[in-house]
Amino acid sequence: MVIIMKKFSQMAIPYIVWSVLMLVLPMALIAFYSITQQGNSIISFSITLEHYIKFFTDADFLIILWRSLWIAFKTTIICLLIGYPVAYYISHCKERMQNILVFCITMPMWINMLVRTYAWIGLLSKDGLMQKLLSLLGLGNAELLYTEGAVLLGMVYNFLPFMILQINTTLCKMDDSLLEASADLGADPVQTFYRVTLPLSIPGVINGITLVFLPAVSSFFIPKLLGGGKYFLIGNVIENQFITVGEWNFGSAISMIIAVIMMVLMMCVHKAEVRNNGGKGET
Amino acid sequence: MKEKKLIEFRNIVKSFDGQIVLKGVNLDIYENEFVTLLGPSGCGKTTLLRILGGFIDADEGKIIFKGEEVNHIPPYRRELNTVFQKYALFPHLNVYENIAFGLKINKLSKDVIDQKVMKMLKLIGLEGFEGKNITLLSGGQQQRVAIARALVNEPKVLLLDEPLAALDLKLRKEMQYELKRIQQEVGITFIFVTHDQEEALTMSDKIVVMKNGEIQQVGTPQEIYNEPANRYVANFIGESNIIPGVMLKDYKVWFDDIAFECVDFGFKEKEPVDVVIRPEDIDIVSRENGKMTGEVLSVLFKGVHYEVMVETIPGTQVTVNMQVVKSHDVISADGKEKISATNFYVDLEDVKKLDDKEVVARSNAQAWNPETDDYISISKIEFDVKEEEGQYPVLFSTSGGTSIERTIFVVNQPFVSNEKANEAVMAFNFQTTVEEIKESLALDTDIKTWANAQAWKLSDESQSVDISAYYDFEPQSVTEGTYRITFSTTGRVFKIHTTDYIKEGQEVGLTFFPEDIHVMSKMVF
Amino acid sequence: MKKKKRPVLKALMILMIVFFYLPILYMIVFSFNDGKSLTAFTGFSLRWYQHMLETGGMLEALYTTFSVAVIASVVSTAVGTFTAIGLSKSKKIIRDLMEQVDNLPMMNPEIVTAIGLMLLFITFRVEKGYMTMLLSHIAFCIPYVILSVMPKIRSLDPDLADAAMDLGATPWQALIKVIIPQIMPGIVSGGLIAFTMSVDDFIISYFVTGGGVKNLSIMVYTMSRRINPSINAASTLMIGIITIVLVTINLVPLLAAKKQKSMKAGKKILIPAAAVCACAAGCILFFRFGDMQGKRPFEGQILHIYNWGEYTGENIIGDFEEYTGAKVIMENYDSNEQMYIKVANEEPYDILVPSDYMIQRLIAEGYLQKLDQSKLNCMDKLSDAVKGLPYDPQNEYSIPYFWGTVGIVYDKNKVDLESLEQEGYNIFLNEKYQGDIYLYDSERDSFMMALKALGYSMNTENPKELSEAYEWLAGCVKTMKPEIVTDEIIDNMAQGRRALGLMYSGDAAYVVSENENMGFYLPKSGTNLWSDAMVIPRNAKNPELAHAFINFACDYEGAYDNSSYVGYTSANQEVMEVLSGPGGDFEGINAYIPRTGYGLDEVFVYNEKTRKEISNMWSRVKIVASNAN
Repeated sequence: MVIIMKKFSQMAIPYIVWSVLMLVLPMALIAFYSITQQGNSIISFSITLEHYIKFFTDADFLIILWRSLWIAFKTTIICLLIGYPVAYYISHCKERMQNILVFCITMPMWINMLVRTYAWIGLLSKDGLMQKLLSLLGLGNAELLYTEGAVLLGMVYNFLPFMILQINTTLCKMDDSLLEASADLGADPVQTFYRVTLPLSIPGVINGITLVFLPAVSSFFIPKLLGGGKYFLIGNVIENQFITVGEWNFGSAISMIIAVIMMVLMMCVHKAEVRNNGGKGET
Repeated sequence: MKEKKLIEFRNIVKSFDGQIVLKGVNLDIYENEFVTLLGPSGCGKTTLLRILGGFIDADEGKIIFKGEEVNHIPPYRRELNTVFQKYALFPHLNVYENIAFGLKINKLSKDVIDQKVMKMLKLIGLEGFEGKNITLLSGGQQQRVAIARALVNEPKVLLLDEPLAALDLKLRKEMQYELKRIQQEVGITFIFVTHDQEEALTMSDKIVVMKNGEIQQVGTPQEIYNEPANRYVANFIGESNIIPGVMLKDYKVWFDDIAFECVDFGFKEKEPVDVVIRPEDIDIVSRENGKMTGEVLSVLFKGVHYEVMVETIPGTQVTVNMQVVKSHDVISADGKEKISATNFYVDLEDVKKLDDKEVVARSNAQAWNPETDDYISISKIEFDVKEEEGQYPVLFSTSGGTSIERTIFVVNQPFVSNEKANEAVMAFNFQTTVEEIKESLALDTDIKTWANAQAWKLSDESQSVDISAYYDFEPQSVTEGTYRITFSTTGRVFKIHTTDYIKEGQEVGLTFFPEDIHVMSKMVF
Repeated sequence: MKKKKRPVLKALMILMIVFFYLPILYMIVFSFNDGKSLTAFTGFSLRWYQHMLETGGMLEALYTTFSVAVIASVVSTAVGTFTAIGLSKSKKIIRDLMEQVDNLPMMNPEIVTAIGLMLLFITFRVEKGYMTMLLSHIAFCIPYVILSVMPKIRSLDPDLADAAMDLGATPWQALIKVIIPQIMPGIVSGGLIAFTMSVDDFIISYFVTGGGVKNLSIMVYTMSRRINPSINAASTLMIGIITIVLVTINLVPLLAAKKQKSMKAGKKILIPAAAVCACAAGCILFFRFGDMQGKRPFEGQILHIYNWGEYTGENIIGDFEEYTGAKVIMENYDSNEQMYIKVANEEPYDILVPSDYMIQRLIAEGYLQKLDQSKLNCMDKLSDAVKGLPYDPQNEYSIPYFWGTVGIVYDKNKVDLESLEQEGYNIFLNEKYQGDIYLYDSERDSFMMALKALGYSMNTENPKELSEAYEWLAGCVKTMKPEIVTDEIIDNMAQGRRALGLMYSGDAAYVVSENENMGFYLPKSGTNLWSDAMVIPRNAKNPELAHAFINFACDYEGAYDNSSYVGYTSANQEVMEVLSGPGGDFEGINAYIPRTGYGLDEVFVYNEKTRKEISNMWSRVKIVASNAN
């Protein structure tokens, strides 16, 4: 069987080559560009940290970085607060209904993100449906489009399905007998929720957070479409560096920074998950 | 022991998706009892337990717990705890936290919880395991934790839903004793669900045998074993010989053409009954001393005893002719294809059912390449059979054009019926070749197929009866000619457990005491 | 357990469904709107669908979106499946390592992956276009397929393949007949994820595309500044296609199961999958038709135009294609700088339409080729005012396209002309209009305004004057809380949403013609007299065709179509006169005819050093504005 194993394992080789070319090399290139000077080539270059220094010594960049993290955090929290109950509701429906609801939530994800975001422009713009609705409710004629609120709404709209689906998957996988056992041991539904359902759904919550936070931090079309020109996030800064300013090296440095921040954050989150769950070795 | 009624089920009815699972169950359970709900899967035993646990609602009926109706009390307010089939231990909590779960819910103080958990760990023999991750425990250890987690809340009743099903045999035996010991030690009622009759007999004070949502019998293990209420219980509990009979009058039962003394009474005169005789209650004696006589069919060594099968009444038989003919395969012109098939008989009634597949099977048609021995598929089968007796041609051909013609004989075959044994047997004459017999991997099965031999219950034609083929030729040295083949069902066979060895084929006598005969009312289906 | 009704949760669920579908429905409804507005439904019409079909770019984008998605998902499903099987039999070290590598595109912000791929293609001089987009899509899809297939392989009985081979199957047969059918659900869901990811992708496509290849996302992104309901139409079409695909996938197994309950699971999935593929193939075929026409001078050739967004008339491209038989691929930019980067990066275009100062820069840096005057027949038709401008005194390199000024559009009800005349550009510092102004996101025009407001030349090289201008702008964004916008200013001013806005005269002409309450004012302190002109880059692949296009665009028909649709002043003298004359589209609109011969008006001059300074300062202004909120 060893020979056959080898034969099968050879099928992975083309992809290993491919992934080195298409996944690893690009990252290496970003790292390379981020520490070299504008106009250098691969053959002749000089290493410099000026791009990093430029970023970290400029309060305005740091404010934007902070704002990006902050709005992504808010998005994540809102998605969690809405997504969890919705996922909980879905997981407690009959199986047929569950399938229908999951389908309803997946369906918009099939439609292009940009298209869906663009759709909000009409809804939010002055005299649009949302404003009319708000003034009907007596909430005045507040400006909706091109505000931070609009950006937040766009992000929640785009990323909420990820959260719902992730949590729903873990809740559905949960063994019903655990809930029965909890009730059997005297826990009322609320206690059961806090002591059994919630702790057991943490992995899904973590996955959901990852899937929401990650794209929210680096999103640049949502702020551009719904935030107008004055709402800059780190993604817009990167886009700007590459598309209009043309300083790729500085842009690469910002990309590196954001990639590293994300990696560190994700590692922390997963560490927390491990501590929460598997770390129950010996007391 | 039976002092106070603890739980009463009153006419419990439950159905799922229109399928009735419990058909009005009435049952009393007393304090301090080890009660087993026994029955095959789907009999409603788990449903009954879950209704008691409060996880599902009964459609009708009352559950009374300590004199109070508890139908609408949610599970977390019921004074009983459950050990789940797959334990349902919380994977995010360790052993200690799992056991302490219920106590923490009830907001007991930390030191009380500590004490109780430690006591429980001692009871289940898992001291020192409190900090262990639940997923790292073995099946038996998880089982114990599940029991401890339930018992620590000091319930009045512990419900156990097939808790031993996931364990291997040896561990299961150990846990049976363990459970019994724990029950005796804590002195509360255990309600135990299982499909394993041996488990039930070993552990219970009281067994409730269930079938199709109804209780068949309630009693001690001894009562259930020795005095089964009906054929179903007798069959389910232990091995039995169950014979249809007639109650002539009190203390006199008739079966197998003989009237026997017995200790049963209270049946109507001439009432048809089922008679049970346990295999260990029958003794093998010499022909002359037996109450019945028969021939030893088989002897199996079972460790402590032999299991002897004795046939007292022979089965139903039919004999047909097997015509062994020369091979008459057709070979194509280029020698690349060879095709063979035989004539066959078919019953008038079965003509309708003849299709290509059936014709190929019955005529044993096949085609192959004689050089490489690769099979070639038969692409065309032409036949035209009318529903009247006669001979009809059938033509098999391959896509290569090689073909062979054979005959289908449609006959009105009579069958042999045996009213007493409630069965009928039928078989057809058939044709085959020396090669077919020699090359057959499972000759008996092939012969049955070629002869289309079948046997069925007279009372229910769709229920088939096993038949065996008997013949006196040596398959490896068979030559062309006609052979007689007898197909026979098994007759009345008694199973006997004995420690003495007996030779197969021997004629013996069987004897038993009147008190070993248990007469039961016929089951109503 | 008893099913409890959860009214609060149920309400939340319903709210969620509304939340998810409202924008989509809204968009579908407004794709049938007769008017251009996104907020008022004025009647049912199919004009935006017609517009979409006529412009061509939209269908092209839909075709690109789906063809890339189909190919990428098929390829990545196949590769991913075999790789996953291969990896499952590989050594643990390789497996773990590959898992980490696979995580890269999933655990990295998408923009980082996108930039990595873009740098890869640029570093290795791979021409960006359809191929690079497809490769990138395959690259980010495969990890998802592996992720979806891997668990199925893990849960497989490890003896299955051995059993198959024991029964005489070759390893390959064991793979195809036993392993693949077993993991089919994983493969199908992996394929679906890949398809979704690909259809949904914007960021990666945006950075790795080139040569005018656009998918729907890029199309929407570059067009979203101005209201363009054909985006709604294209999106609705896309939603339609997706719905058909989804319904097929979800309903066919149900129907098939009803018809034939004994069908095997693998087949159940295969049939809808095949149906989807057939559907997709059909769509592709449908979109591919249309390229087949008769014989014309440039039959089958391709013209790559890189132009401003919304800068061509409705018919000119179609007419040009009809007339020459060539195919036009149009790509859009929204700033000269954005265009410059691509040109400097040697992306091959045949025609560019940069502004004055950028033309000067491109000439200086040698990116343009001289026009072949013998092939041009248009010089006589152009207004004298746009000929021989300082950036290209002999018109050796450029032929004017549009021209105009920059001025202030104001709401006559809120702002009186008198105070405007008094304050000039400084009205943008008047706190009376706080939160009620638009600035245009253009570094040169913003600095032009500041410098002119301060009384300096807009071409100043004096660092002191420039830093004063920076302070002027920084003060403006801090105290006045303006919106810094690009083309969305046009529709918003046309609907009178702000009192004041700095705008190009051409856009102003449109605004004033749409809304009679709006006025256009050119401050006395002078303005930027700009012009955008057509040039041919040095590396153009088809200069012959490019000359033909220049003639076509300068001709009365083409210039009329451009100017009447876009609203910018045509360089064609006759067109300008007709449109502003009696019965013309812009009769009596002062913004349409640029102010000429006014001493303080200037034309932009390119200066590398100040450009960098201004560019940096402007991005600082924007960051200050963004942080002022």
